[in-house]
Amino acid sequence: MLGFEDDPQLIDLLPVERQQRLLQLLQALVTQPLSLHEHYRDDAEPVEFNLETLAWLHCPQQPQVQQAAARLLEFVLFYVGKYRLAANLHHDTTEASFAELQRQHAALQASEARYRELSAQLQARVDEQVQVIEQAQQQLYETARLRSIGQLAAGVAHEINNPIGFIASNLRVADDYLDELSAKLPADPACALLLKDFKDLLGESLSGTQRIAAIVTDLKTFSNIDQADFVPCDLNALIGTTCHLLQAESSQALHIELRLSEMPHLAGYPAKISQVFYNVLDNAVKALAGAGTIRVTSRLGGDGALEVIVEDNGCGIPAADLSRLFEPFFTTRPVGSGTGLGLSVARDTMTAHQGEILVHSRLGTGTRVTLRFLCH
Amino acid sequence: MADYLAHERKLTLKVVYYGPALSGKTTNLMQLHTLLRPQRKGELMVLETRDDRTLFFDVLPIGLRSENGLDLRLKLYTVPGQVQHDSTRKAVLSRADGVIFVADSQAAQQDNNANAFDNLADNLQKLGMDIEQLPLVVQFNKRDVPGAVDEDGLQARWRDTPWAPLCMASAISGQGVVESFRLLLERLYPALDREYQLADGEGIDAATFVRQLSMAEEGD
Repeated sequence: MLGFEDDPQLIDLLPVERQQRLLQLLQALVTQPLSLHEHYRDDAEPVEFNLETLAWLHCPQQPQVQQAAARLLEFVLFYVGKYRLAANLHHDTTEASFAELQRQHAALQASEARYRELSAQLQARVDEQVQVIEQAQQQLYETARLRSIGQLAAGVAHEINNPIGFIASNLRVADDYLDELSAKLPADPACALLLKDFKDLLGESLSGTQRIAAIVTDLKTFSNIDQADFVPCDLNALIGTTCHLLQAESSQALHIELRLSEMPHLAGYPAKISQVFYNVLDNAVKALAGAGTIRVTSRLGGDGALEVIVEDNGCGIPAADLSRLFEPFFTTRPVGSGTGLGLSVARDTMTAHQGEILVHSRLGTGTRVTLRFLCH
Repeated sequence: MADYLAHERKLTLKVVYYGPALSGKTTNLMQLHTLLRPQRKGELMVLETRDDRTLFFDVLPIGLRSENGLDLRLKLYTVPGQVQHDSTRKAVLSRADGVIFVADSQAAQQDNNANAFDNLADNLQKLGMDIEQLPLVVQFNKRDVPGAVDEDGLQARWRDTPWAPLCMASAISGQGVVESFRLLLERLYPALDREYQLADGEGIDAATFVRQLSMAEEGD
């Protein structure tokens, strides 16, 4: 492409038809035939533009008019060239300015896009932080609530432990006294009936105190009053003893299927882990209500976690209750038959062993509880 | 950047008159057109607007032919001095072989001189040229104006630059115009000689180069 300062050819300044028109006018003036030649002719007059010879003007009949005609042609070409140069420069600078403008525009757009992206990133981080804060607040609230419940439970357990102790002890002594007293009383039927009733009353009271003592023990576990050091625990052995205990307590035969695999020992509190197994299995027994099977599986998980899975094909848990399972004192059982602490205690114990407890259940089909000990 | 067409034996050079608005660039060119009698001289083409301000550029082609047939041409351009015509200035300055910076000697114009000189350096850099390497003559024009800044002070101020000594001119009366042009030709020659072997190949030594291109009417 021609730059504005490149020397133009004749054709760049005047198109062929204009050249011919000009030549016709010149011919009319000089009344002689004229011709323009692209190449040097000895007998022709050069036509110059800015030192550049553009053509040779030839007048065969009257060479003396050649010079004046050539100067006239140069005069015309000078003004045509002037316009051409200005127009070319204008075109060049306009293009350069436009290219510069486009470059700046592109740079501006890129920068705008960068800022938009940055703004989106910042917004995402703000949202993330807000979520973290909200979560932390929720946890803090939960922890504070649990701690206050734990403190209450610890206080109640401590206060009840002593009086229940001497009540139980006194009841046992009273029972002994009743035996001694019955030997000294006359053996008439009315007296015997009274004594038997008295003995039953004492027996019921004693079993009541035992139940209170058991609740107190649960409360103590729940509030983490007893802390001992971690010792190596054989989870399979703990499962075995817990099953025996349950079997012994139960009034009817339990169908417990054990599928235990070899597992490494776990560092932990054996009493508390047993308590977890007991609480979970006890729930399974109650869900079966005498009919059905419990399956206990122990295995080494893929990620190195020790897993104990307790499954039953009992009544299942209503969906509405699933979210409240681990809430302290939440129970669906009749008053007196559960404290509502079983699963909260289990979850706290699992947390203390860097583990987790997962509950899957379908109403009418059964429940699966997975205990995962992540650290061993 | 000189333009050499080997098949035509044609070497075209470009000299640009640069400077602040109304410092007399076009006047310099008009005076050269009047005063110079170089071997070849074309028409002065002036593209001014209605109020005589340069809108695009002015151009004066001059030339010489060496005995070996080298067709050497020098195109002298002016740029528009007004600040707003910067893209035109840049386009005209592109590929220049030498620059004559025409400064205004009036005391009030010194800031404009400095701005225009910065603009020159800036545009040269954008065009990939180095102002320190480019043949450049600084002319302080309008010496005839009352209250023109003191010449000794100007020479002292520019002494440590590559462009000393400065040329003093009064272009309106033709004074110093040819001298400035000759000084530029002298500064332009060495680089051209290095690249095109003007002395050895074409028989054009520095003195011939300057004389042939800047022969003046008085015949000096």
